[in-house]
Amino acid sequence: MEKLTDPADPGAGLAAVVALRRLADRLEDSQVEQAMRAGWSWSEVAEVLGVTRQAVHKKHAKRLIAAGVALRRR
Amino acid sequence: MSTKTKDVRSVLVRGARAEARLDGSSMIEAEHVLLALAALPGSAAARMLHGAGLTRDAIRAALDREWEQSLATAGIAVTVAELPTATPDEERTPAIGESTKLLLKRAMDNAAATGGGRIGASNMLVGILDANLGRVPRALDLAGIDRAALRAQATQAAEQGDH
Repeated sequence: MEKLTDPADPGAGLAAVVALRRLADRLEDSQVEQAMRAGWSWSEVAEVLGVTRQAVHKKHAKRLIAAGVALRRR
Repeated sequence: MSTKTKDVRSVLVRGARAEARLDGSSMIEAEHVLLALAALPGSAAARMLHGAGLTRDAIRAALDREWEQSLATAGIAVTVAELPTATPDEERTPAIGESTKLLLKRAMDNAAATGGGRIGASNMLVGILDANLGRVPRALDLAGIDRAALRAQATQAAEQGDH
């Protein structure tokens, strides 16, 4: 791989930061949804993400319930 | 404030919020306001954007290209159209993001400078086009848009009270 950033163009490097955050957010939303559709528990998803079960529940539960995903109790 | 102005602003905020929601964003950013402006029926702002080739869909495509290009800078080859999608949160109420606060401030400055005082859609467009940094100007540059020319057009419309 080429050098990650160009010292002469910090603007491109900063734009890459924004792009990576957007990508991480999109992946989190889609992959948590996929895992829950596949019958994973909140605890399992939380363990992979390295956050608390409460945190992942708070962030995604409402959206997934509205999306009609059948959620496991634990 | 006239009813008409109030309507335009509320329609715009509602539209931008819907765009943010669709985007999975917790914040309403300038890009969402731009998308909403392009879809604002009967507005001078939408007419000017469309004249430059910037329909709502064209803006979305340009923003996706900017995303792909910035990811490529970080060594990630991604086609946005092939990314896994998430069901949007219909309940979510995205808050006003920093780039939107900045564009509102610039739009108010433009409204004052063009003699109106009230912010209209054309002032909002100027506020968006005044940004030289961030995703919107990068996306517009990638789409080959002459931002300065479009800004001049929007200022002229604002001066004539054409929103």
